[in-house]
Amino acid sequence: MIPAGKLANRALVHAILAAASFASIFPFYWMVVGATNTSADVIRGKTSFGANLIANIENLLAQVDVGRVFLNSAGLAVVGTVLTLLISSMAGYGFEMFRSHVREKVFALLLLLLSIPFAALMVPLFVMVSSAGLANTFIAVLLPSLASIFIIFYFRQATKAFPSELRDAARIDGLKEWQIFLYVYMPSMRSTYAAATIIVFMLSWNNFLWPLIVLQTPEHKTITLVISALTSAYTPDFGVILVATILATLPTLILFFVLQRQFVAGMLGSVK
Amino acid sequence: MRKFSTALGSAIGCLLVGSGMIASASATELTVWCWDPDFNVPAMQEAAARYNKLHPDVKITIDNIAQNDIKQKLQTQLLAKVTDGLPDIVLIQDDNAQRFLQAFPGAFEPLSDAIDMKKFAPYKVAAATFEGKSYSVPFDSGVTGLFYRTDYLEAAGYKPADLEDITWDQLIKIGTDVKAKTGHDFFDLDFSEAGVVRAMMQSAGKWFLTPDGQPDILDNAPLKAALDTYSKLWKAGIVKPVSGWSAYTGAFTSGEVAAVVSGAWMTGTIKANADQSGKWAIAPLPKLDGVDGATHYSNWGGSSWYVFSSAKEKATAIDFLNTVWANDVDFYQGILVKQGAISSLLAARDGDAYKAVDPFFGGAPVWENFAKWLGQVPAVDYGTFTQEVNSAIQEQLPAIAKGGSVDEALKAINDRVEQQVQ
Repeated sequence: MIPAGKLANRALVHAILAAASFASIFPFYWMVVGATNTSADVIRGKTSFGANLIANIENLLAQVDVGRVFLNSAGLAVVGTVLTLLISSMAGYGFEMFRSHVREKVFALLLLLLSIPFAALMVPLFVMVSSAGLANTFIAVLLPSLASIFIIFYFRQATKAFPSELRDAARIDGLKEWQIFLYVYMPSMRSTYAAATIIVFMLSWNNFLWPLIVLQTPEHKTITLVISALTSAYTPDFGVILVATILATLPTLILFFVLQRQFVAGMLGSVK
Repeated sequence: MRKFSTALGSAIGCLLVGSGMIASASATELTVWCWDPDFNVPAMQEAAARYNKLHPDVKITIDNIAQNDIKQKLQTQLLAKVTDGLPDIVLIQDDNAQRFLQAFPGAFEPLSDAIDMKKFAPYKVAAATFEGKSYSVPFDSGVTGLFYRTDYLEAAGYKPADLEDITWDQLIKIGTDVKAKTGHDFFDLDFSEAGVVRAMMQSAGKWFLTPDGQPDILDNAPLKAALDTYSKLWKAGIVKPVSGWSAYTGAFTSGEVAAVVSGAWMTGTIKANADQSGKWAIAPLPKLDGVDGATHYSNWGGSSWYVFSSAKEKATAIDFLNTVWANDVDFYQGILVKQGAISSLLAARDGDAYKAVDPFFGGAPVWENFAKWLGQVPAVDYGTFTQEVNSAIQEQLPAIAKGGSVDEALKAINDRVEQQVQ
């Protein structure tokens, strides 16, 4: 028999958890249901499935070159994630592994830079990018985010748990520094990489302001820009918008489910 | 490891291929930026198709970008003085135009030399006039009307004639009766939208400015009267509070509330509910009480086409706007029927489409009425800080709705504006 007090306690915990999971799942449910309804039904707050899904999809396809847009977003997110992880993890590793009397100062400066809002950097950055002839290119979207201070910080923290004995052993075995990084460090930090992948992919996929400024032609549009344009109508078609929103949500969702186990481990800071 | 480097390699490959796709031009290409895939975009597409019949060699690309996004892009690029990425033609909402014209002199091409501006509604031309030159080809008019449910009004004993030529106080009396008889609120209002206050103010020929361009808040009689009216609406208990645009339009399109004051572009949203056909009518705006120069005519929204002086195909862009947007009366009949876009080109009013009666609105000549009213909208100088004053007003709306003093609200608005504009 479980004592009554404990039972009440457990009931309370479950009630709170149920409310929290409802709050997290309902927006997804609403999104999926809305995509099957007409705009008028969405506004009316209808919460059951409708028969308008095909029409909404056709409407979206008629307005937007979905394949192109999706490919643009996916290309930017994949390339951006791979390069950001590579560059930023190297930096994080370097900051932790190599001693220097200025390293803490440089690192503190980096963290300080985090506090400058992007809006303040936007115009000078745009001038820089266009004088390099990179305006309206995907490279211009990627370049400013490749060395991510947050990810450098994250990797440096994770590297603290990386045993220096492993590195010393590798050195004795005759590995060069880059080989240690590639063959010893990277495999043992798998869960850190997985967690960082989800974070960077999501940031890159959802990136809005900078692509908006830099990308000028319809062929270069990303999914966030397209959704923004769809919502700008005087009478927005919410059914169509929600179909586009599902498309925009799926990749991050799938990636999260695939890497979920490692993500949790990575957040806890484990070394394999 | 090999897997990783293959992935990296192919990723970089994709990147290079992707970034190589910069458009190469051969024939004359015009680019247009505008928002709303159901309104501005198809109207521009129709205009492009008409121009292409005369000039098949001109390729016109229309890019659908949200209004706020266009503002953001213009602001950044004009500030950075990098004009390569800008289009030839851009759509700007009228109350935002002076901000761009004055902050970036020389960025836009004056059009009044090439195009006769007398053909357009004077208040639309005034919105884009800076230092004696006009910079836009006016597009849609946001001429206002009072859209209302005739069945609810009838239940309270009112006929359409009772809503013609009245003041706001009289309307509030009518609204109170409707609420008592039918149980329906008369209006729904959203605190994050001060449009109705602006519309009332402009109906008396006034905006937020003194003639020399300074903020005019404390001694602005029409603004005070508009806020007083706003306060009275809430005090009468005939307003349903809503939050967000979809809830706002949802309340009157679902029959929850009896009426809405809006620009003519709201016609399409209302008509989208075919089951309500015959139950709606449109009256001119009520007059503000006790204000000199008060009229029944005002404006809410509406935008115009601008040409960048940096445009690669400037001459073609101007010719296109002149040929279709400043002359083609037939074109305006088409976009009136399809998009419900009311032309600012006065000659368009004589076309057939404007004469049509609409059974949805009880067989009234809706477009002819709007067109008649738009010629009488008082012209005002929108100036450069409409956005700042507008958000200062929005901040005070909840307090006024709760019964707060209008004078104190005016003072708070004034303090806020002075702090931001200095």
